[in-house]
Amino acid sequence: MVLRIDSAYIQYGASVMAVQGCSLHVAEGELVSLIGQNGAGKSTLVKAVMGQVPLHGGTITVDDRSVSDRSFSTVRNRISHVPEDRGIFASLTVGENLRLGGITRKDKAGLAADLERELERFPVLRKYWSRGASLLSGGEQQQLAIARALLLNPRLLLLDEPTLGLAPIIVDLIFDVVAQLRQEGMTILLVEQNAVRSLEVSDRSYVLQAPGKVLGSGTAAELADLPAVVEYLGFSPAEMGVTR
Amino acid sequence: MKLLRPAIHAVQTPVLLIGLVLLAVLAGVSGDVTIARVATLAVVSVVFVAGLSIFSANSGVMSFGHVAFMAVGAYTTAYLTIPVNLKAALFTNLPGWLSWLVDVHAGFPVALVVSGLAAGVLGVLTSPIVARLSGLQSGIATLALLLIVYNVLNSWTDVTRGSSSMIGIPRNTTVWLAFVVAAVSIALAWGYRSSRSGLQLQASREDYWAAQASGIAVGRHRALSWMLSAFVCGLAGSLYAGYLTSFNVNGFFLSATFAFIVMVVVGGYLSLSGAVIGALAVSALQEVLRRLQDGQLTGGSALPAGIADLVLAAVLLLVLIKAPLGLMGVRELRLLRRGRVQDDALDQVADGVAPDRTAKVGAGG
Amino acid sequence: MILEFLISAVGLGALYALLTIGVALLFGVLGLMNFAYGEIIMAGAFAMYLFRDQPWLVALLMAIVFAVAVAVVSEVLAFHPLRDADPVTLMIASFAVSLAIQSLARMTVLPRTRGVPPEDFLSHRVDLLGADVSVLDLLTLALCGAMLIAVAWMMGRTSLGIQLRAAAEDFEMASSLGVRANLVIPSAFVIVGVLAAIGSAVLVARQGAVSADMGLQPMLIGVVGAVLGGMSSLKGAALGGFLLGAATALLESLLPTDLIAFRDAFLFSALIAVLVVRPQGLLSGAKVRVS
Repeated sequence: MVLRIDSAYIQYGASVMAVQGCSLHVAEGELVSLIGQNGAGKSTLVKAVMGQVPLHGGTITVDDRSVSDRSFSTVRNRISHVPEDRGIFASLTVGENLRLGGITRKDKAGLAADLERELERFPVLRKYWSRGASLLSGGEQQQLAIARALLLNPRLLLLDEPTLGLAPIIVDLIFDVVAQLRQEGMTILLVEQNAVRSLEVSDRSYVLQAPGKVLGSGTAAELADLPAVVEYLGFSPAEMGVTR
Repeated sequence: MKLLRPAIHAVQTPVLLIGLVLLAVLAGVSGDVTIARVATLAVVSVVFVAGLSIFSANSGVMSFGHVAFMAVGAYTTAYLTIPVNLKAALFTNLPGWLSWLVDVHAGFPVALVVSGLAAGVLGVLTSPIVARLSGLQSGIATLALLLIVYNVLNSWTDVTRGSSSMIGIPRNTTVWLAFVVAAVSIALAWGYRSSRSGLQLQASREDYWAAQASGIAVGRHRALSWMLSAFVCGLAGSLYAGYLTSFNVNGFFLSATFAFIVMVVVGGYLSLSGAVIGALAVSALQEVLRRLQDGQLTGGSALPAGIADLVLAAVLLLVLIKAPLGLMGVRELRLLRRGRVQDDALDQVADGVAPDRTAKVGAGG
Repeated sequence: MILEFLISAVGLGALYALLTIGVALLFGVLGLMNFAYGEIIMAGAFAMYLFRDQPWLVALLMAIVFAVAVAVVSEVLAFHPLRDADPVTLMIASFAVSLAIQSLARMTVLPRTRGVPPEDFLSHRVDLLGADVSVLDLLTLALCGAMLIAVAWMMGRTSLGIQLRAAAEDFEMASSLGVRANLVIPSAFVIVGVLAAIGSAVLVARQGAVSADMGLQPMLIGVVGAVLGGMSSLKGAALGGFLLGAATALLESLLPTDLIAFRDAFLFSALIAVLVVRPQGLLSGAKVRVS
């Protein structure tokens, strides 16, 4: 199991409970999505995996190693995080941003090959290689963020709301890329508000309800059998004609 | 007794603090000349830090500029109390529109209040700045204020005597007068702290945006506390001038600022008790260090000059690293406890665990 | 006459830009508004005094050694334990470090102001394209200019430079990509030491004296330049410092003498105005576009 979250509790301050006893897991090569409304605790959970917010209860392990351990390093364990705000360095060029993605890698040949592959995947990045990253459009920045995350050659890719605020045509492109990555066997945890598209593309999904509780999980077909999930989503995943 | 309890709760902290200051005064009057001097200046420092904490403790915003208010108070007292004939000799080049400065004169009580008001005017003028800034930006802006006032005082030689000392101020500050002003300042600071404006400002200290969002006009309360604290620091400047009888512009610059920062940070800059205790403790420490430096405590073998500053800096660093909120945190000095629940909440806030105090109280009660 | 003024103004601008980068770099990387920067400069200046009888280049080298040593020691002793502290706490701490180093200097090596006799070659004037230019102005321009180019190269072309800029912009994101705090923070202090040393050499040559409190003015210049230029990017900060220096040179030749004394008051009023009206700095226009 690549990622395992076991009854995680996360709170902000003394009283604001953001995640209350959430459990989920992502197996190798799986694309798992985390669906839920604003404030359901999705991003908080991802940040906890990255060690950016402390865990108040439960465990999170990556490849059976607890992320709360002092010795645990997200970089050494090759967890790539594309945060909600994309985390692009505006004062750096596109090329410099990409260079940072592979800053820790020792296998220079492998890195060069990966870079070439990502530039094939995202031609716009090659075109704007030496341009300031702040000059890119939102969709281009999102492509840069994903490409940069992939250059770590990640074991686990955390994508936090990659289509938020983007034009429909760019949303299509991003979901195409996500599907492509799944084909390539990448292990991905995808956080999305766009439930329809996430269910379409994922192997399994978890539906999260504030404060960070799993309402239901499974494939789109399995979720369709859960009345609470159907009510929460406002539609039945079965109606989408999803076959997987 | 039961009926008295709320009243005791309301005033116990200021009474305890004034009692502490009284102890310092008593130590001063029973000791030799040096001790008396140390005690008086310590009490003047208490006035200053009480003033500073009206702003800093309630808003949670640190100011590096309050010594400017003290300077304004001191210069105002100098203009008002130096004998007129001496003033005519000291200020021969006053510009025409300020020539009245030579002729004005006032008794010390009036001079004291006017000094506070003069500093208050500077506070009013500068209040839009602190109303709009937070954190580091506010820190830099308040420091810039100090640098501006210092530059003007140091360079406007015709009016301020520039880098020459201001001399001939009659000694009007006694240790008892300083005590009375300190008691009033502590009462004022406590009064503001317990006022509606003070409480709202403290709410913004924990979470600026939450307070703003719940309709608290944070800027306005900051401005109000800033003006009030300017007034009190002006009083401190007046007492200072009236005690030392002469002063130099360099007394109102970075080393004074640093000394006061050490006091409030060591005591705990979010608490009035912390500021007062810090002022008294650091004043005592400074005197011990001064004596060490002179060799009085080591039997004549003087330590190199500057060791006092070095030790103060080390103490400050140690406190910042080990206990950034100082000795008191956000607690106030109390003998009687209000009740378990609230104290727990306060302790948690002090530990930096619980910004959300009301929710905790609600849950516990 | 114009050329002479230009060289002097651009030289002062380059010096101020150098001082500003020293402040802005540490602020960017760890949120530290470093008041002890002045004392790092003082350490370099003291080396210039101590080795005044050695060849000038040797003295410069020693200035770098001294300044870097003071910068690194202050990091290890004071700022390292405070890495997670908020900017205001850090600023207060740097205040303490500044006073500590100053009093140490006063107690030991610099109890009073020491004169540093000007190097012979600096007091010459040379003829440049028909203008009579002082070697001191030329040296200021050349040394600071070369240093700025070196810093620009290091920041723009090396892996360390990219990591430093990334860390300055968003430390959390940088470290999640694998930029190591234990690499970039000490490196930043070393760079600041070198910058301060070059600055101190120029300052000593211009002022001809060294004292324990000599760092205050250059430190404040750095702070003002950094705030004016916008602290988020080093380029903006350097430009802010440069314009501040050029404007100062201009003001000093234009302002009536009795107003020059109030230069600081004008400067810091402008600083407050910028903080209130445009806290991101006058020159910083770069913003990440949302969509």
